[in-house]
Amino acid sequence: MSSKFTYIPDEIYFLCILHNVGATNLDRALTLEEIVRWTATDPSKAEENLTKLIENGYVGVSEIFGVKKYFITIEGIRKVLSIYS
Amino acid sequence: MNICMLTWEYPPRIVGGLARHCFGLARALARMGHSVHVVTLDFPGAPQYEESDGVKIYRTPIELGHPSFIVWTLLFNHFMEKKIGMLSRNIKFDVIHAHDWLVAFASIASKHYLKAPLISTIHSTEIGRSHGLHSPDSYLIDGIEWWLTYESKRVIVASNSMKNEVEGHFRLPSWKIDVIPNAVDASKYEITVDRALVKRRFGIDSSERIVLFVGRLVPQKGVEYLIMAAPKIVAQHPEARIVIVGDGWSKDQLWNLAASTGYRHKITFLGFLSDQDLIELTLSSDVLVVPSIYEPFGIVALEGMAAGVPVVASNTGGLAEVIEHDKTGFLAYRENSDSIAWGVNKILSDSGYASQLVQNAKRKIREVYSWDAVAKRTVETYEKALGE
Repeated sequence: MSSKFTYIPDEIYFLCILHNVGATNLDRALTLEEIVRWTATDPSKAEENLTKLIENGYVGVSEIFGVKKYFITIEGIRKVLSIYS
Repeated sequence: MNICMLTWEYPPRIVGGLARHCFGLARALARMGHSVHVVTLDFPGAPQYEESDGVKIYRTPIELGHPSFIVWTLLFNHFMEKKIGMLSRNIKFDVIHAHDWLVAFASIASKHYLKAPLISTIHSTEIGRSHGLHSPDSYLIDGIEWWLTYESKRVIVASNSMKNEVEGHFRLPSWKIDVIPNAVDASKYEITVDRALVKRRFGIDSSERIVLFVGRLVPQKGVEYLIMAAPKIVAQHPEARIVIVGDGWSKDQLWNLAASTGYRHKITFLGFLSDQDLIELTLSSDVLVVPSIYEPFGIVALEGMAAGVPVVASNTGGLAEVIEHDKTGFLAYRENSDSIAWGVNKILSDSGYASQLVQNAKRKIREVYSWDAVAKRTVETYEKALGE
């Protein structure tokens, strides 16, 4: 089997986790601290993944009282579903 | 008949052909006078309940989450099951119709407590999608797929190749499986578009000829073979532009591959498009390529045929049953960019050949692939399940 069938980039796995824990709209957005807890990822790695995902339009960010919260966009949801559909 | 249809995808939650299939089938069943209740998952901006074209749609919110996809699937199945339980206080469902393994848990539980027969449509299998079983999750999904077919009174698949796959892999008795093809709503392509205007909207020059791909950007769709065919297509047709519509986890890899061909400037990635944009772009295209490695049916090929766009598809699975080579389309060798380029170049070079393919394809769509015909056959399957 070719490796192309098993390799899913790190940030897409990370996106899947955000999706599966339910951060799929602004009301259910998570702080970096919460994301680190859910994903069991090093904070700097989590930030790196979030930056990539925000750049690509798969994650949105809101800032309330100086606290940043992250949620998956509609494009992000579709990206996740494409893995399993 | 009161039909309870379960699917994790239903518009606007559209990723691949599954949402389109459920949408077309549900509406056609409602047109026949059946009461169709679609239980699906929520989606940002979509109402939790709506009635559309006679179909009652319940979008279940998922109130709990977990990082594991499998656990998440179990959780949303619980919420679907709860919704069906609540609906069943007022509705006596005659049949439960499940679409794919993702809704297996809720469907099987509902079958037992509602005492209604379960019918499942298997759109694809884990072993086919992943070219084998390579992880614990894959083994589990494969097991759930078997379990769903085992618990189902009848199993529907969209092609004979899928029937062989399901029958062989899950050891199902042949009599339990009905082959009912997918369909397409051809009327949505009966509009006039200003091709130059549509092309401009997507950053394509009006003189360029569009070689279109539509689908999820995942390995099973074989997009890489179209990208690798680009140099051979452009060498013969410098006016050709490869346009890739869709998204998926292998997008970055495909992007890099496109750059490595030296023809990145001739390849456009448009991402996911709305239905209306996709219809207009399809109608403005010169060839549709379906280069799949694994394709139980390939509804996108039907969409191209209905839109009057010549189709080049790989000779695999359901595509080989939908397309008659040199009659309703061009069948290319699977995983072969030379063969794809050959087919695309033949269509772009020979307008007589292209128009003959289009005429034959449109006729076949009218005669075989209408949602009303598919719904009628699906009801026959429901009746068999009720009578057994």
